[in-house]
Amino acid sequence: MRPNDDDFNEEIRGHLAISVKERIERGEDPAAARRAALKELGYIPAIRDSMHRVWYSRWFDATTALEHDMRIGMRSLLRARGLAFTVILTLGLGIGANAAIFSVVREVLLRPLVNRDEDRLIYIRQSAPGLSTENLTFSVPEIRDIEARATTIRAFGDFSTIDFTMNGFGEPRSIKAGVVNGSYFEVMGLRPALGRLLHAADDRPDAPGAVVLTHRFWSTAFHRDPKVVGRTMRLDARSATVVGVLEPSVPYPTDTDIIANIVTSPHHLGATMVTRRNHRMTELFGRLAPGATVESARAELIAMHGAMMRQHQEAYPTNADFRLSVTRLRDQIAAPARTVLLLLLATAGVVFLIACSNVANLILARSVRRESELAVRAALGASAGALRRTLLAESLVLSGAGAGLGVLLAWLLVKVVGRYAARFSVRALDATPDASVLWVGAGLALIAAVALAYVPRLPSPETPAGLGPAGGGVRITPGTNRRLQVFAITQIAFSFVLLSGAGMLLASLTAMQTAGTSFDLQQVLVVDVANPVGVDGAKVIDFYQEVTRRIEQLPGVTRVAVGTNVPWRDAGRLGPGFRFTIEGYVPEAGEENPYAKFRNVSPSFFAALGVPILAGRDFTDADGRGERVVIVSQSIAQRMFPNGDAVNRRLRWTEAETDPDPRRIVGVVADIDDENVVPGPVLRVYQPLRQLPYGGRLFVHAEGNPYTLVNPVTRIIREISPEQPVERAATLADVRAEVLAPERLNAFVFSGFAGVALLIAVVGVAGVLAFSVSARTREFGVRLAVGSTPRQLLLHVLREGASLVVIGIVAGALAGYGIGRMTMSVSPNLRLPGLLPVLSAAAVLGTAALVALLMPAARAARVDVLQALRSE
Amino acid sequence: MAKTNDDQRLDLLQGTLDMLILRILLWGPQHGHGIGQAIRSRSDDLLKVETGSLYPALHRLEKRGWLESEWAVSEANQRAKYYQLTAAGKAQMARERDRWNQMVQAIGLVMNLAPAGADVDQE
Repeated sequence: MRPNDDDFNEEIRGHLAISVKERIERGEDPAAARRAALKELGYIPAIRDSMHRVWYSRWFDATTALEHDMRIGMRSLLRARGLAFTVILTLGLGIGANAAIFSVVREVLLRPLVNRDEDRLIYIRQSAPGLSTENLTFSVPEIRDIEARATTIRAFGDFSTIDFTMNGFGEPRSIKAGVVNGSYFEVMGLRPALGRLLHAADDRPDAPGAVVLTHRFWSTAFHRDPKVVGRTMRLDARSATVVGVLEPSVPYPTDTDIIANIVTSPHHLGATMVTRRNHRMTELFGRLAPGATVESARAELIAMHGAMMRQHQEAYPTNADFRLSVTRLRDQIAAPARTVLLLLLATAGVVFLIACSNVANLILARSVRRESELAVRAALGASAGALRRTLLAESLVLSGAGAGLGVLLAWLLVKVVGRYAARFSVRALDATPDASVLWVGAGLALIAAVALAYVPRLPSPETPAGLGPAGGGVRITPGTNRRLQVFAITQIAFSFVLLSGAGMLLASLTAMQTAGTSFDLQQVLVVDVANPVGVDGAKVIDFYQEVTRRIEQLPGVTRVAVGTNVPWRDAGRLGPGFRFTIEGYVPEAGEENPYAKFRNVSPSFFAALGVPILAGRDFTDADGRGERVVIVSQSIAQRMFPNGDAVNRRLRWTEAETDPDPRRIVGVVADIDDENVVPGPVLRVYQPLRQLPYGGRLFVHAEGNPYTLVNPVTRIIREISPEQPVERAATLADVRAEVLAPERLNAFVFSGFAGVALLIAVVGVAGVLAFSVSARTREFGVRLAVGSTPRQLLLHVLREGASLVVIGIVAGALAGYGIGRMTMSVSPNLRLPGLLPVLSAAAVLGTAALVALLMPAARAARVDVLQALRSE
Repeated sequence: MAKTNDDQRLDLLQGTLDMLILRILLWGPQHGHGIGQAIRSRSDDLLKVETGSLYPALHRLEKRGWLESEWAVSEANQRAKYYQLTAAGKAQMARERDRWNQMVQAIGLVMNLAPAGADVDQE
């Protein structure tokens, strides 16, 4: 046990007593003996300190002093609970938001991919803005052209997705497969987690089917069973051996369940795939050749693409506006998220600054009120350092608690922000709260603490301003007041900008959620029933007909139909469509044929969805057997035949690979926009399932709760074909809700931000007002004494606050407009909010501020005249 | 206090206080004041230890494990802290005494090189 200062004191006391006693025994006078003993002893505190120093280091003393100061700080903060709460909440929100967003930014923008030498890994994309297709992918002839001539790329990897029905592992299920060439994994620089990946030997036409599981699929479907390697799975009519499991990596551009070699997919071996220049479904990756740079590869490939387009003009119509882009894979993955994340990070940074300034505001106001306390301490000999240390201890307590809250918030927020950012970059999903959150939080807290400790002015010995009579200690200089007001106005302005933005997002979310659809959402159950595999067209029709017939007999079922696209969920399925023309339509000079997307449907498809036939008739079972027929959407009919005589005209597809035979239009149906949540005009051509036996989606219109049908429907289908996958049953209403989830999250994240900013700003304004009111107690006393009513004082203070709010809103509107304009020039997708969100933002801000102002205003009205006047 | 008395007093050589304390305590436990008095009387009043040096030295020796201490009531009927040598302290005392003897011998050799009776100042 280390002796403490009490022990040291007692030892010295004992020494003194013995010394005095000895002197008295030697015959000295007691008083003189005591004086002499004290003189001999020397300066007692110095002796005690010299003993203390033996046992305790200076560092220990410094921390003890800080601890002591912190305890005092904590006690004095407990007396100012409202202030402490506000400051901690404000800092916590600021720190939490920053730490969470930083985690996601780090994951998406800063962390390298797992791919080996990822800075030499290139992603090549063909797009066609004219078809509003961002990613058109490549056809095999195109890839051959590029591969044959490129010198800046050492090796190419290609990747195309196709759906298989997988059997051999429990329930039949349809899975998404990536089909790759032998150099794909080498180009991507990926390693196996188990077994092996695919290489050149797997490319041979006589190679056996080989499949690599993605890490996600292995984890979810096989529970990481290592014994799965070496087993055989049936994919449609063929089978393939599982040769390995891929390490966890960023799936781009699409996440698949398995990755297979080419022989597993008959489609990839067929003539359509191999010879048709328009048959695009393959993604292209490349490894830079030694010495080549991304820039040189880009220049070479774009030039080659231009030459290719000139050589095959028929495959590259000018209105489609074909383009090629060449980027590092990492940049390609991060690019869509970069602007948004940096914007979010900047927003969070400003929120933090505003939070700090707000806290500084409160601390400043408090410190002015404490000036007399500090002045007394300074007069009693406390050094400037000691005073700062007291302030630092107090702000450490505050910002420490704020950081604790912030880290807690960040922990919860990282997943939300990650899911939010995932719509821009899949990598955001991997963001996890980890130690870096703690570091960022602690760092921000430390910055805040030190900054806050230096906000208050210390009383200087030369100007003992605060040493007035007790209670009159509050002195407010015009400079302090103006600084406070500027802080408050900035906060209002900023939170107004955020509120308007959030209002816009909420408005567009509401618009999407309430957007009318032309069909019945609640009563339609959709089920993925993949096209039967390994059978010819007639058998496919038989299968779907039998399924339809038997499900229709279930109680509660009103109509059953087969289609190809579940609205919204299957957006993009069946590609960008084909060009077509209709006999009798006279195009204007230079007008190229329009593109339409085709859909295969069974009879009564429109009835099952509740969509009206506007002219002509629906398909019947007889359609598709002899004469070729189609139904077109209202937009096609109106655009090309405004007089309403589209029925019975003949439509022809005009692409090189499409069947040139004419199809008679038997009906016109209302537009069904199955790709956009807010429907727009769509060019669609429907053909009978019998004409092209490819379906995959079942639509069941039911009375009552459609979900009760899931089990009987599954059972019926399995009875007909035991290896048939039956998946993803949901009502259209739920499909829509699922598709809207990211939008909701978007609105949620930004509203959260705006709410934080609003809270901070309102606290700031109320703080400034409260401070101003308490600083002017005397003035209000005088006003009351000369005849002002409390009501007038209340209104006076409210007016003062309202003017801050109005100036802030105007400044925010101007700044927001400027920022919006600037951002729009960078990313053209942004829109300025409409009048309604702006006005509601102003209303919300105004109301919140008014409520916050009432407290200080009421305090002004309650000033006691006598007390106020006595305070001078 | 007589001025001549002070002039005759010797300043302690650096590093010898610890040894003196250990030596004094060889006679048995003693409190700080007693140790100071013992050094003074044993040196015929030539050595006087300042309390400001004595106490930190005692605590230093205690912290290093050469002394141990105990609170007891002194002859003056006052609670005082009594210090006592530990086994390690005794060994340390022996080491320091040997070192001191060597030092005295060595310095004596150097100082006595001069011709007998010659005054250093006159050289």
